[in-house]
Amino acid sequence: MTRMEQHVEKILEQTQSSGKEREEIREELLHHLNEAKQQNMNNGLTEKQAEKQVMADFGNAGDIGYQMQEAMYPYQRGLLYAVGLATILYGLIYYVNAAFFQHDAIPIWLAVQFVTGCMVILAGINISFVGRYFYMLNVVLLVNVIWNGINITLIKGASPWQTILFSIYLLILVLLGLIAVVQNSYYSSGKTVTKQQSRGVVLLGYGVNLLLGIIVAGVSLFFLWAFLFTTGKQLSALLTIAPIFIWLITYKFQMGYIAKKPLISILTGFGFSVLAITVPVLILVML
Amino acid sequence: MSLKMKNISFISGMVLLFCILWITGSLAKAPEGFTGYGQDIDISPDDSELVFSHFRYGDATLYTVPVGGGKAKIVAEPEEGKSYINPAFSPDGELIAFIEKWETEERRYSQLRIFNRESQTVKQRINTNGYVTEAAFSPDGRSLYFLKADVFKNYSSITGKRPHEFDIFRMDLTSGETEQLTDKNAYTMSSLDVTPDGKKLLYRTNEGSDDRLVLRSIDNSHVKMIVPMGDFASNSLIMSSPALSPDGEKIVFTGVAAKDENGTFIYEAFKMDLETEQAEQLTTFHEHVANSIFFHNEDKLVVTVDKNFTGADADNSYWQISADGEEHKRVPIDIPEDNETE
Repeated sequence: MTRMEQHVEKILEQTQSSGKEREEIREELLHHLNEAKQQNMNNGLTEKQAEKQVMADFGNAGDIGYQMQEAMYPYQRGLLYAVGLATILYGLIYYVNAAFFQHDAIPIWLAVQFVTGCMVILAGINISFVGRYFYMLNVVLLVNVIWNGINITLIKGASPWQTILFSIYLLILVLLGLIAVVQNSYYSSGKTVTKQQSRGVVLLGYGVNLLLGIIVAGVSLFFLWAFLFTTGKQLSALLTIAPIFIWLITYKFQMGYIAKKPLISILTGFGFSVLAITVPVLILVML
Repeated sequence: MSLKMKNISFISGMVLLFCILWITGSLAKAPEGFTGYGQDIDISPDDSELVFSHFRYGDATLYTVPVGGGKAKIVAEPEEGKSYINPAFSPDGELIAFIEKWETEERRYSQLRIFNRESQTVKQRINTNGYVTEAAFSPDGRSLYFLKADVFKNYSSITGKRPHEFDIFRMDLTSGETEQLTDKNAYTMSSLDVTPDGKKLLYRTNEGSDDRLVLRSIDNSHVKMIVPMGDFASNSLIMSSPALSPDGEKIVFTGVAAKDENGTFIYEAFKMDLETEQAEQLTTFHEHVANSIFFHNEDKLVVTVDKNFTGADADNSYWQISADGEEHKRVPIDIPEDNETE
């Protein structure tokens, strides 16, 4: 790999794009750099000097990559860092509070909290890799959103005020996570939206599909709670959260579809959601 | 910094932070002190409620619960480091006398308090340097009898510090005046009760290594020593927590019913006819029956059973039993969480 190619790769490390899009950017940047190099060589520089000059003129790879990312996905990375750090910070504050003031700290909970927060931050750090599969980034975010949603029901504050403050913090965190999902879906699908489709309708498609996902998650968690409350801890309790996984799988197909047929995708999304809930419930009833 | 290094640094940092939190959290010292139900209980005059102490990390709060069990309600909660114990209902059920107990570096305190259920206030009617250990209302509700010890120490090196030099006092609840009824400086006195006619006091004391029940006339100070006869498994007479039946003809108390394979005494409730002084074993829990009390209007009792008598901390639970001891049913209690409102 030439030094210019390495330079381009460093730029691409900072940017989120699909495989095809990435190839196009790579080609365009290399083409531009090669042209400038040729120009420098025509001006009497050696090949090495010309390359060096081109890269110096082009600027720091990290800065360019950052600017490109912000131009294509405004605030996307910042939002990922914010959601991830806020998740870890909540884990830290809540765990210390539980350990020292309530004497009821659960290390496994802290581990899950850290993993869900770190996954989002790692997605931000490795945006060039994760961004190639925008569905994967949404899954990481949705897992974080669902976990923080569960956390709202688990809050055990020392006082009602503490419980309220923790709840507000988590609600904002959940909201930020959902915004990140919608934003990621919206910008990632930007290239496939045809002129006839209004961006607003596509956004509506993502919003409604996400809302359906939240309903599926809510219903599943309610079933889980009811199951554990009435039957106790059993392996079959896991079936109650199967709708979340089914929905996540169908969401992968939905995402591609939303950009192309946003209105129809709302109907199919509704169908998938109903299916995601009814199949596991039927299995549970038959058991 | 390369992307690889960024990932490694971030993951290592997070693992380190998690480990620090985990270790620090596990080192966070849990509060010490007993958590569980207190031994002494009382039944409301209409037999609808039990009043009891529930300890949380050494501090006891007073609760009531329906006599058949259910969700407990806080009656009075002390400030941190203090405990409310040994509750007793007044005959109209409006007042609950209890003992507030706490300790400073210099000494221990054990003071008499009265909770008014209507005004929801705790009153301190007397302030004494002594150690008030328990109280019982007169049947007319006008007086409150209580036991007070003058010292808190260990006379013998094999026992822990305990209150000693006991006497009985009476407080007029209208005027608040207190008078001393006995001048015994007794080594021990406990389980004060008043006969239904209001003329005599019952309490437990000891004579050498034997425990004794004493019936003392309030008016003329006449004293009758009662030595229950029965099939006890101990050589010396060991008994505790005597309580009178509503008709005043029977006494229920805790005595030694048997020994287990390790030679540890098994304490059960015994019921004694006051006239014949003949006692019969009432319960067969094969645990430690710590306390028993009669219902006022029904032919039943509530007993406190300690399932960890030989352990460091008691594991008390309350049980309803029939008058013949044949049937027993646990009183299930749901203690509300800290942040749960009533």
